[in-house]
Amino acid sequence: MKPALSRRHFALALPSALLVSGCAAPHRGTGRPRDPIVLTLLSHYASGELKTALQGPVDEWNALHDRVKVQTKAVEFTDLLTTFMVRQAAGQGADILHPYCLWNGQLVQAGVLRPAPPEHAEEIRRGYGTAAVGSATVDGNVYGYPTEMQTYALYYNKRLLREAGVDRPPRTWRELEDAAYRTARRDGYGNALVQGFGLSTFDDSTTVGQTLALLNAAGGRFVSADGRRTAIDSPAGRAVFDLERRLVAKGASDPGVNVYNAFASGQVAMVISAGWWTANLKALMGKGYRDVGVAPVPLPEAGGRRATLSTGFMLGVNTASECPREAWEFLRWLNTEKVRGATRMSALQVSVGSLTGRADDMRTLLGAGGDPNLHPFLDALAYAVPEPNVPGAQQAKSLLRKNIEALWTGQQSVDEALRTTRRQVDQEVSLSW
Amino acid sequence: MVNATLAPEATERAARDRSAAGVRGRARHRRRQAVVAYLFLAPTLLFYAVFLLLPLGFALLLSMSRWAGFDLGDIEPVGLDNFAGLFADGSTFLAPILTNTLLFALGTVVLALAGSVLVATCIDKLRFQGLWRTLYFLPIVTTVVAVGNVWKYMYEPGGLVNGVLNTLGLGSVAFLQDPDTALPAVVVVQAWASVGSAILVLTAGLKSIPESYYEAAALDGAGAVTVFWRITLPLLRPSLLFVCITQFLTGLQSFALIIVMTRGGPGDATNVAALEMYRQAFSYGDWGAASAAAFVLFTVVLAVTLVQLWLFRRKGEDA
Repeated sequence: MKPALSRRHFALALPSALLVSGCAAPHRGTGRPRDPIVLTLLSHYASGELKTALQGPVDEWNALHDRVKVQTKAVEFTDLLTTFMVRQAAGQGADILHPYCLWNGQLVQAGVLRPAPPEHAEEIRRGYGTAAVGSATVDGNVYGYPTEMQTYALYYNKRLLREAGVDRPPRTWRELEDAAYRTARRDGYGNALVQGFGLSTFDDSTTVGQTLALLNAAGGRFVSADGRRTAIDSPAGRAVFDLERRLVAKGASDPGVNVYNAFASGQVAMVISAGWWTANLKALMGKGYRDVGVAPVPLPEAGGRRATLSTGFMLGVNTASECPREAWEFLRWLNTEKVRGATRMSALQVSVGSLTGRADDMRTLLGAGGDPNLHPFLDALAYAVPEPNVPGAQQAKSLLRKNIEALWTGQQSVDEALRTTRRQVDQEVSLSW
Repeated sequence: MVNATLAPEATERAARDRSAAGVRGRARHRRRQAVVAYLFLAPTLLFYAVFLLLPLGFALLLSMSRWAGFDLGDIEPVGLDNFAGLFADGSTFLAPILTNTLLFALGTVVLALAGSVLVATCIDKLRFQGLWRTLYFLPIVTTVVAVGNVWKYMYEPGGLVNGVLNTLGLGSVAFLQDPDTALPAVVVVQAWASVGSAILVLTAGLKSIPESYYEAAALDGAGAVTVFWRITLPLLRPSLLFVCITQFLTGLQSFALIIVMTRGGPGDATNVAALEMYRQAFSYGDWGAASAAAFVLFTVVLAVTLVQLWLFRRKGEDA
């Protein structure tokens, strides 16, 4: 009598079984009503205080809820988008995603993000500032709860300004230029000892972020309201590019320097950056941090309407999630339920030196005390312009960065830089739509 | 005896039968051997199919499709649009990206080859050759990130390189920030980092040159330069060919050092094809354009390699 499973069948069945088990979806519960559910949350809070800060409320949820548990998974920010792609393509996408809002258009277009159910969308629109809601919105639909919000403001070194005879931070571009030229110093070989205004090619936030903050302050926009074409080739865009080109040409800015290190070492008098930097500066500078001041981004003319750039992250639910209702419920608990006057997410963000788009929470948590340097960022939540998040926004940002660098290094004139940015970004954004 | 009395036809038939049986047996044996051989080869073939043929086929499919990288069901055929886009008016792929790629590879090969020939020849005449080879090989075992960051600090205004220039009374140069010097500055680092492996190959090549040639040249009164040009360099040609091809291929596909040192900037001054492909796929979610660029780069690599082989074969050398 032949055995039920011959050696040949076994040889075929074993690798197949291994393959199938290896490719199978992760354990998420049986899916039967009342059976336990495990939701996965993929973020970039991979190490240090960020990881601990997120794990706190997740552990609290898991302790309070018997049926629905949340499991966090984290990768470095640089790997986050790639991880979304690879896991989604392999059918292993997490239930809850924590994307940088710049990618929202790309993720929505690829069918990765699920629109927020009406009651959640309404709660988000009601509870958060305009910039935060704008970051989490694509084509009129809200896709998640805004989490970490960053606004841009002017960091300045009080000691360097004082030594140059400047007694208060600049409020207009004319004052900014004047202070930059007065504080800048170079040695006999042309090495920058002090940069007046820190323009830096270090990363996207130093190159594009500060340019867009100045552009918004001048009343300009990077892309049009409908998100289908660029709007930087405008009088406001020209004014920003002119200002930056002058600062580099007259030696007040040295784009090659790592501005994060240079400012902390007292080698940069002023720089535009986001709020998260305050925590880093405190740790880096120690007692020297008392020389650091923060002011709103200067305007082209005195008395103008304030504006700056805001960037952010949000928590959304994957279209592939088998338990979206539970996922949205967890997000509501994390982002809107108040404990001691503020939501868990706001408390989490403030604990790591960041902000959320909930101004009421921020005022409660920061109160009258705390670091006064955080207040200009908090005030900016009311007037900040969200970073564009249309499909192709990441590529548009990279193209803008390349052209800004070409402008700063003299490869392109202001006109050429504006024209090339418009042509390249329009082409890419139109393709993405 | 009985057999001897059989008719000759029967004997022949029996012989044919035996022969046919023998042929069948041998054929069966050969088939069995072939099956066994394929069974032994199966893991390798499977590996080859899964990790080379399958990705190659998928990349070819993607190069003629539009895909954002998230859902395999969303692959949308677009014909040759992705290739047309790479060479369309205003596209930066041909210039400066592909041009930078070729300049980067060519610069690396020229510098690394010249440096390694010089150093290998010197080492060949020194004591403690193993120690010298090890020292020159160290950059190979150092991670690209470390190499790139150290050189980045050395190039910075106020860094070691500018410090030397300043000591000599010269002004500072913004090596990585000036679009005219950024690519050559990165080429120097790539050549420095790859010179170790070239030295190993060339030292082995030098050892294989028979001593009798040098003795004959000495008897004829040939000088050191003549010996190098007439004996060492021609006999080193197989090793040079190997180094030249491998370094060029590495240069054409390399982007790790660039991403660490300049991220392709300023502007597109140091952007290369591999870096652009990476960005198109993983940052912008345009896998079609990335795959099309990969096939264009593959064609360039193939063409350059064939030209190199042809040039060396004209001189009578095989790879």
